[in-house]
Amino acid sequence: MGRRKLSQTQRRQLSCIWFVLPALAVVFVFFLFPMLRSLVYSFTNWDGIALTSRWVGLKNFAAVVTDPSFKQVLFNTLYLTVIYVPVLNVVALLFAVAVYNSGKAGNVYKSMLFFPNLLSMTVIALIWRIIYIHDGLLNHFLRAVGLKALVQDWLGTVATVLPAMSLTIIWFAVGYYLLIYLAGLNTVPVEIYECAEVEGVRPAQRLFRITIPLIAPSITINTVLSTIGIITLFDLPFVLTRGGPGYMSETLALHVYFYAFVQLKTSYALALAVILGLFATLITLIQLRLLRRREEAVL
Amino acid sequence: MKRPKRFGYRQRARLGVSLLMALISLLLVLPLWYVLNNAFKVEKEILRSPLLLLPRSATLDNVANAFKAMKYPQRFLNSTIILALSCALLICLGSLAAFGIAMARSRFLNGVYAVMVATITLPFQLAMVPLIFLLKGLHLLNTYWGTALVYSAWFLPFVIFLYTGFIRTIPRELEEAGRVDGCGLLRSFLAIHLPLLKSVTGTVLILRGVPIWNDLLVPMITLTRSTLSTLPLKLYSFIGAYGASMTHWNLVFGGTFIVSLPILLAFLFLQRYFVRGVVAGAIKG
Repeated sequence: MGRRKLSQTQRRQLSCIWFVLPALAVVFVFFLFPMLRSLVYSFTNWDGIALTSRWVGLKNFAAVVTDPSFKQVLFNTLYLTVIYVPVLNVVALLFAVAVYNSGKAGNVYKSMLFFPNLLSMTVIALIWRIIYIHDGLLNHFLRAVGLKALVQDWLGTVATVLPAMSLTIIWFAVGYYLLIYLAGLNTVPVEIYECAEVEGVRPAQRLFRITIPLIAPSITINTVLSTIGIITLFDLPFVLTRGGPGYMSETLALHVYFYAFVQLKTSYALALAVILGLFATLITLIQLRLLRRREEAVL
Repeated sequence: MKRPKRFGYRQRARLGVSLLMALISLLLVLPLWYVLNNAFKVEKEILRSPLLLLPRSATLDNVANAFKAMKYPQRFLNSTIILALSCALLICLGSLAAFGIAMARSRFLNGVYAVMVATITLPFQLAMVPLIFLLKGLHLLNTYWGTALVYSAWFLPFVIFLYTGFIRTIPRELEEAGRVDGCGLLRSFLAIHLPLLKSVTGTVLILRGVPIWNDLLVPMITLTRSTLSTLPLKLYSFIGAYGASMTHWNLVFGGTFIVSLPILLAFLFLQRYFVRGVVAGAIKG
């Protein structure tokens, strides 16, 4: 450039970089850099302590995938996702429609349903442990109403642990997704509903033909958010069951933690974290494509 | 105005829906009511009749015992310091960066922004393990700053995304007018934009402050010294110590109650902001 002055826009752009730099530095050093390290080191025998590491190719991945626990852990993660995402979204949407139609009382219901979402997942998990354990509230209730045959250790039984966990997570999350659906409902002009009423459209038709197509963006947001949420969820399953009994309720997210901080198998933890990252990204991209296409088809 | 006395089909349907919703809401808060009401029962009564909806006995023992066993004031302070540091970093660095990105119209910064947005959905687990070794190397493990930096780095992309979206809706003429009056970029940020960012900052505080306050995973791996435990971490370790059978129900109830109390109070007073914050965040997202 020499003595030629920088143009005013260029100077401005340069000074703008100074504003971005501190944030960029923090994100890079404490988030992006560790992520890149995970990616690279998952192909080595790095243990976090030794200064040198050797390239081992796909060995860590092979070891993680062929581990007897992996199938179960992957199954649990898929099971929770497949149950949680549709059930949560349908329930949250129905609740939102009901709250929307409840007039002023709707505000009270909304707050009541949303409140659990503000509590720590540690608290939530402990509360539900007291409900589910052998001498817990649920079994007390079942005995009281004469359903003794159903009494069991809900979190200690293979058949019930995942459904019980799904129920708890849905209970915890529903209020949050309800709020987003409600915001979507509030953007639909009331005139459309008035028109529909004049035309004699039935409530079910109204829901499927008018409401759902018009709030398609909220459905997209909620589906993607809830899928990422359940795949990476840690605190709640960790405190509720710690993955037990055995591996029966352990998810990929928990498994990374156990590899890294309990079994101290750093390179396995890295490989599994990379698998988890790929899994989450892939599902998100597929969902976004499908849902966006549907959104466009409606418009 | 005269109205027909008999409800029409629509009103009746609405009333039905509303009543059903009232029932469902009550059913869904029932577990929380159990905590609240069992926290004030005598231990014997909890064990004998845990299903009773109103306590026949009333005592502060459970709360007091949990308070003492958890060393509550120290844990509360730890949680507060970490929350304050993280939020300060998120708000200062986030709003500055967003301002820079929105003002520059440069290809480089737009690229940086695109990368940031792309990382929002990446799972924390992907960074977790090398991050801990990095913190250890920098002597930031078991420090408030270390934990706050983890949260900042993790959540800054989302915060920048929120702020940038908002700053882009502020007319550029404002900043240009400032420039004519001899306002530098920093002055114009502080004098013109910052005052307009109040509502987004509220959204940021609710969408990221609440999860930071409630989080278990990050404190568990970054704060291994028990004097530094946050409230959720202390609650977990202190109840975990009694094993899976959870025989000390009185302590569980007392503990979960006092850990939830700050959020409960915040929600009672700031309810509207909480709801608005979630909605604002979702619409942007």
